[in-house]
Amino acid sequence: MSHMEQTIEAIGTDVEHAISDGLARLGVGRDDIEIEVLDDGSRGLFGIGAREARVRLTLRERREGGKARVFAATPVEPVAPPPSPPAAGAPAQPLSAEPEAVRSPPEGEVRDEAEIAREVLLELLDLLGIEQAQVTVRQAKPASEEEESPLALDVQGADLEVLIGRRGETLAALQHITRLIVGREMEGWVHLVVDVDGFKARREKSLRRLAQRMAEQAVKTDRVVALEPMPPHERRIIHVALRDHPHVSTESVGERDRRKVTIIPR
Amino acid sequence: MDSQASMKELVEFIAKSLVDDPSRVHVSEIEGENSVIMELRVGPEDMGRVIGKGGRTVNAVRTLVRVLAAKQGKRVTLEVV
Repeated sequence: MSHMEQTIEAIGTDVEHAISDGLARLGVGRDDIEIEVLDDGSRGLFGIGAREARVRLTLRERREGGKARVFAATPVEPVAPPPSPPAAGAPAQPLSAEPEAVRSPPEGEVRDEAEIAREVLLELLDLLGIEQAQVTVRQAKPASEEEESPLALDVQGADLEVLIGRRGETLAALQHITRLIVGREMEGWVHLVVDVDGFKARREKSLRRLAQRMAEQAVKTDRVVALEPMPPHERRIIHVALRDHPHVSTESVGERDRRKVTIIPR
Repeated sequence: MDSQASMKELVEFIAKSLVDDPSRVHVSEIEGENSVIMELRVGPEDMGRVIGKGGRTVNAVRTLVRVLAAKQGKRVTLEVV
C-alpha cells in the first residue's frame, strides 16, 4: 500500500488557503483528495500567534484497500505526555518507544492523531475553565478483537467532578465534541475515548458487577429484571457483560433517556 | 477570565472547529438575571454539522456550556438559528 507518492504538503495563511493552494498544484477538486491538517496555523490553539497553516493532501484513489488511519498492531503503550502543551510545530514525538519493530504504520498519522486529540481536549478544558489539568494519551485495548484500538485520553487533575456530570453526561458530551473536532482535523472518523481520573474504568467495573448480580437475581426469581435508565455506552457494557451468560438474555426497552436494560431469564 | 466571555468562546470554538465556513459562525448572548440565552448562527450548509444526528451535537454543546453557567448559578439555553 504505497500512498505516499501522491501526497503533497501545502501552506497558506489558513487551512482553507493551504488547501486551495494544494488543490491548484495538484489540479484536482476537493472530492479527489484526503486532507490532513498538519498545522492549523492562524487558529492558534495555544494562542501562539500567526503561524502559517500546513496541510497534507493525498489523492484519494491511492488510499484504497485500507483505512485512512491504520493503527499498527501495537499493544497498549503509554505515551509519555510532554509536561506542558507542546509548542506548535514541535518536533515529532514518537508515539511508540519501539522503533520499526512492527510493520511501520503511517507513523506521522498516528502521532498526529494523538497530538491533535490532546491539543483539542486541552483547549476544550481550558475553555471550560478547568485549570492545570493534565491529559495523557495512550493506545487502549480494543473492546473486542475485531475493533480498532481506541486512542484513550485521560484527564487528570483536581476538582474534575464537574467534567463527569450526572450519570457521566458531561463526560459523554466532552468525548463527543472532542471526537468530532479531531475527526474534522483528521478528515475521518476517529476512535477515541475520553476519561476523567479513571471514572469510566471504575464505572464499567461496577456496572459489570451489577450486571452479574442482577442476572443472578433474574435466574433465581425467574423474572425479568429491569435496571435503571442508562446512557447508551453504559447499556452496552451491560449487554456485553451478559452476552455469553448461559441463562439470561438482555434487551433495552424504553425511549430516549428512559431507555434501560432488562435482563430476561431463559 | 470572566465566565460570560468564556461561554461564548466555548461555543464559538466548538462551532468554528466543526463547520466548513468558520467566518459565518456568530454567537450572541442575551443575559437575564438568572438565565442566559445564547444563539448560535452558522451558514445554512453547516447547520447539520453543529446540530448533529438527532440533535446530538448541539445537545453535547449545551451540556458543556452548562458547566460554565452552573458556576454563575445561571440557566443557559442555546439555540441554533
